[in-house]
Amino acid sequence: MAGLAAVCLAAWWAFARLGREAEDETWARVREEGVLRVGLDPSWPPFEYVEDGQIVGFDVDLAREIGRRLGVEVVLVNVGFDALYDALQVGRFDAIVSALPYDPARTKDVAYSISYFNAGQALVVRADEGQIKGAKDLAGRRLGVEWGSEGDAQARKLQKKIKGLTLRPYMATEEALQALKSGEVDAALVDAVSALQFMGREGGVKIVGHPLTDELYVIAVRPESHALLRAINEALAEMREDGTLARLREQWF
Amino acid sequence: MKAPEKAVKLALAIALLLFTVRPSKPLVTLGPQQYVRTINPKMGVHTRLTDEVEEWKIKRTLQMVREMGAPWIVEYFPWAYYEPHKGRFDWSHPDAVVNHALRQGLTVIARLGFVPEWARPEDTTSSYLDEEHYDDFGDFVYAFVEHFKGRVRYIIIWNEPNLSLEWGYRPVDPESYVKLLRIAYRRAKEADPEVQVLAGALAPTLAPEGDPEGMNDLAYLQRMYDAGAGDYFDILAAHAYGWRAPPDDPPAPDRINFRRLELLREVMVRNGDADKPIIVTECGWNDHPRWTKAVRPAQRIAYTIRAYEMALEWDWCQALCVWAFRYPRPARSYQDYFTLVTVDFTPKPIYLELQRYAQGK
Repeated sequence: MAGLAAVCLAAWWAFARLGREAEDETWARVREEGVLRVGLDPSWPPFEYVEDGQIVGFDVDLAREIGRRLGVEVVLVNVGFDALYDALQVGRFDAIVSALPYDPARTKDVAYSISYFNAGQALVVRADEGQIKGAKDLAGRRLGVEWGSEGDAQARKLQKKIKGLTLRPYMATEEALQALKSGEVDAALVDAVSALQFMGREGGVKIVGHPLTDELYVIAVRPESHALLRAINEALAEMREDGTLARLREQWF
Repeated sequence: MKAPEKAVKLALAIALLLFTVRPSKPLVTLGPQQYVRTINPKMGVHTRLTDEVEEWKIKRTLQMVREMGAPWIVEYFPWAYYEPHKGRFDWSHPDAVVNHALRQGLTVIARLGFVPEWARPEDTTSSYLDEEHYDDFGDFVYAFVEHFKGRVRYIIIWNEPNLSLEWGYRPVDPESYVKLLRIAYRRAKEADPEVQVLAGALAPTLAPEGDPEGMNDLAYLQRMYDAGAGDYFDILAAHAYGWRAPPDDPPAPDRINFRRLELLREVMVRNGDADKPIIVTECGWNDHPRWTKAVRPAQRIAYTIRAYEMALEWDWCQALCVWAFRYPRPARSYQDYFTLVTVDFTPKPIYLELQRYAQGK
């Protein structure tokens, strides 16, 4: 009896899911045509930018990998950033993959995937640093920032809360990170992308603790594209699990 | 009465009291009259208080503008918000904005636009206004100017009409814009002969002839003059974004940079308007860490200060207003890197440097 109930429940679940998938016209069309159209603005290296007439970047490879796992080809649609949401709504493409920050104010208008990257402010220390594990360990320390940046603004807030924290401003993020590497400062507060790029290029430093701010990059679809969103989320989860996301990061940063 | 019964009754009474007694809104007063102290009386900013609901935030924003040293603000007053139905006006929010601005010693430049649904066909955007409703816009302009007579002396008619997206996603039409401008100008002067009417502002763009996205601003301005616009504005509003070029980068017809303003000025002079000033109602640089059109934060600070200095040097420039002071909520995009103050009123480093500049430090 219990077995019969389980079978009925499973069957109900499968039919319900198939029914919902059938309601997702975007997903149905993507599967039928074998094409996923992705909107992006190639003005955000290394996520998407134009090189030798081609759009390349982390997001391009991410979208193509998602497409591969979904069994569809990915077609890129180039749209200015400010028009991405409107263009998605009117059906110019099926998903936005464009270093798109999660916006809680738009959750009625679009459906967002799980986050695949956090571009917020990161605390960076030398690779052999053992004592500074987060912002709370900065008391009495010297913190390098790019003058005028978001990191600078966040550091000034920290300075009001952390005793003896000294700020050293530099004219470029690169200079702040070089100062860290050379020992001129004990830590640097910079955006995560710059930190990863420096780590990839120069080494000798590492990111510690949680990001001080969040800028979560997500994929957006129309609210009714729930089956497509589920498929994208499953692909992202797999990519995180099997190391593909990490490999993409190493390749592009 | 047993103790548990008493407790239940007390709890119910408290719940009833909390339910019926609504906390009153906190009182926000205008405060004493303030004055802007600055070495540069042409400094301005574009505020975004249209969607700022809480009055204390309106006041705080405008206090910070004054404290930064900027006497001018540009603010957006959407027609649809204040005349939701023909002939029925709600001035409560703009009154708060204008009154607080005046109390902080600021001069308000009011941008008018944003078509209400009753004045446009279904499935059109808020920038869609066809000629059969130009008189309705004129009526609104009259009502606005009359209501704010003595308080708002500058109004901008529309915004970037040389872009299709600002013209209801239709092909742009300078001659039709001049018709709109003429009606708005006449109605404004009818309400207050002293009010200053600003035409434009035009979006700086190199769009070629026939481009569906828009029209080159220099060409558009000339077509405006050819259609008789010269009689229907007092000041030209202009937008002057620098993108990656420093403010001193020389102007050229095939280049978008800060000094493109001088080319607009040449068109004005060529058409007999040497006596009319320009007010820059939007300008600035962006310091997003990755956007291909952004500059480094240190450059943004230096360029913005230099732009304010250049405004002082240009006798035809009446004010220069930087986009944008603060947003009521994060834009969650590169747009956030245009602001001077964060959503929670934290001054960014650029705000502090502009303040030092205004103090002569």
